[in-house]
Amino acid sequence: MRLKRGEILDYLLHKLGELTEDWDYAEPVRSESLLFHELGFESLDAVVLCTAIQEHFQTPMPFAELLADIGQNQRDLSVGELADFVNTHLGAPADAAVATRRPQ
Amino acid sequence: MSIKTLLIGLDGATFSVLDPLMEQGVMPFLQSFFAEGARAGLRTIVPPLTPPAWTSLMTGRKPGQHGVFDFFSMDSPTSRHIRFFNSNDVQCDTIWTLANAHGLRTTTLNYPAMFPPPHIAGYVVPGWVPWKQLRLACWPADLFDKLKTIPGFNQREMAMDIKLEEKATEGISDHASDLGPWIDLHARREQNITHVLKYLSAEDPSDLTAVLFDGVDKLQHLCWRYLRPEDDKPLTEDWELQLREMSIKYFRCLDSLLQQLCAMAGPEATVVMASDHGFGPTYDVLHINTWLERNGYLTWSEAAQSRDTQGALLGVGQVAKHTWLMDWEKTKAFATTPTSNGIYIVVSDGTTPGVPKSEYEGFRRKLMDDLRQIRDLQTGERMVTEIYTREEAFAGPHCASGPDLTLILRDGGLVSILPSPETVSKRPMVSGSHRPVGIFGARGPNIRKGLISSELSILDVAPTVLYSLGVPIPEELQGKVPEEIYVEGHLKNNPVRKAAAGSASHGQETAPAPSELEDEEVVLERLRELGYIE
Repeated sequence: MRLKRGEILDYLLHKLGELTEDWDYAEPVRSESLLFHELGFESLDAVVLCTAIQEHFQTPMPFAELLADIGQNQRDLSVGELADFVNTHLGAPADAAVATRRPQ
Repeated sequence: MSIKTLLIGLDGATFSVLDPLMEQGVMPFLQSFFAEGARAGLRTIVPPLTPPAWTSLMTGRKPGQHGVFDFFSMDSPTSRHIRFFNSNDVQCDTIWTLANAHGLRTTTLNYPAMFPPPHIAGYVVPGWVPWKQLRLACWPADLFDKLKTIPGFNQREMAMDIKLEEKATEGISDHASDLGPWIDLHARREQNITHVLKYLSAEDPSDLTAVLFDGVDKLQHLCWRYLRPEDDKPLTEDWELQLREMSIKYFRCLDSLLQQLCAMAGPEATVVMASDHGFGPTYDVLHINTWLERNGYLTWSEAAQSRDTQGALLGVGQVAKHTWLMDWEKTKAFATTPTSNGIYIVVSDGTTPGVPKSEYEGFRRKLMDDLRQIRDLQTGERMVTEIYTREEAFAGPHCASGPDLTLILRDGGLVSILPSPETVSKRPMVSGSHRPVGIFGARGPNIRKGLISSELSILDVAPTVLYSLGVPIPEELQGKVPEEIYVEGHLKNNPVRKAAAGSASHGQETAPAPSELEDEEVVLERLRELGYIE
């Protein structure tokens, strides 16, 4: 059954809440929280998080386009926007370019 | 259960640094380790670079077989976009999965190409993961919570801290106040990794236990001058001598950690020590894309000519910018990363710009001939000593993903990919760079004592580890068990067992692959971590 956007957001908030607890980040993570300016993400942090999201949902998603857009336009990304992105691509046909490459 | 085999990786370790340190009494344990076991030079693959070389060590196969060529790979053979390497790039079994397939547990700490982590029986803490995300990278999923219960566990000093690495590689002024804390951090990081491994091994030991210390590589990149002052002008300033002391202190610390780990493994375990490549001094910079441009192979874009592309010391961060630095209507050959000395040829499919397929061989041959003519302007010496074609260096099912040409420079150095006023320049001071021959050591109940063996191949490490575990060695592995390191009669009584090709094929069950990474900042940060300063 396809997940609702709210369930995706809950998952992201929970996961980011766990992570930020490890960093002793005092503020609660909200839908409006910005990954880079508020949570102090480096680009590599975003890459690892995106990979973990793909693993959790077992669905390849075109995160490269999202990250490239962020880098090119020097913009930030809120948790809510990330949930929207995942929601859009969950259940969408897998792009051959981002399909999982398995050993043998 | 006890540890059967302990594999210790020392990234970039070379006897040219370790031997003097052992002779000076800085590394007495390592000296005794080699006296009680076997040692050899360990020849790595082409290119001598961390991701492909460690993957060759873990798989017993060359890059054309395992699929990892560089820190970055072209998204496809026809793409101009690059993405960062990860565990899904490894296209064959590893020693971890092979051991696992034979019912053995594995614990592996800080090895590259391990994120997303393989779902093996045991524990995985991947290398090349930022500290904030360590929870997401560990396997099994509850491992991180277990690590947090270890007294003294320091997440920040266990994994990568990009900001600190940036500070060291970006703002370095070669003064003790800048570089010193960075050296100390790496000693503490190795201590943290050791601390975690000792805890996990005490609680729940694995048959195959593996750890990688990568501070060796990082220090040798940035501190070569202080580790081997004989390769440059003598150290005279107090701060220079202080940095030498701090560098030596790192290796003294490492020696103590090696001793602790070998004691933990116990006398019945086989301990294998290996590096992914060697190290040596580098003095030159070959600005390869500038040379290609001046010789008609590459055309800079208008953007490249109108914008500041040097970015001070952070030129390496421009690696992802090649997509806009070059005029793709006219460029026929280019280097896309400063890490592997690889040159790609743009091949036309009949509708796109580039070299027609029918002219490819002739074009490549002329390019090779021209590259061989690059000379040191002062001495006239050839700058490029060897050139490998894709077929020579990367034979195998993934050959097409490798660069068309791979250059070996006369001082083992790396190319610069940025526009430059000159094609060849001198570094302001000696720096450390990769070399093809690293180190191998082994100690254990059946290993000969005090043997200095002839050179081995990095491809031999996987068969050696598997043999020590009693795991049959798949036919497709490209290395061999080095018979000479074992005591007489051991191999006769315990013959190497082979497994038919394709009989393992359990692969690494992991997360879906991250998609191609065009975010230049990602590339920049990872390369900063390397310390590849141009």
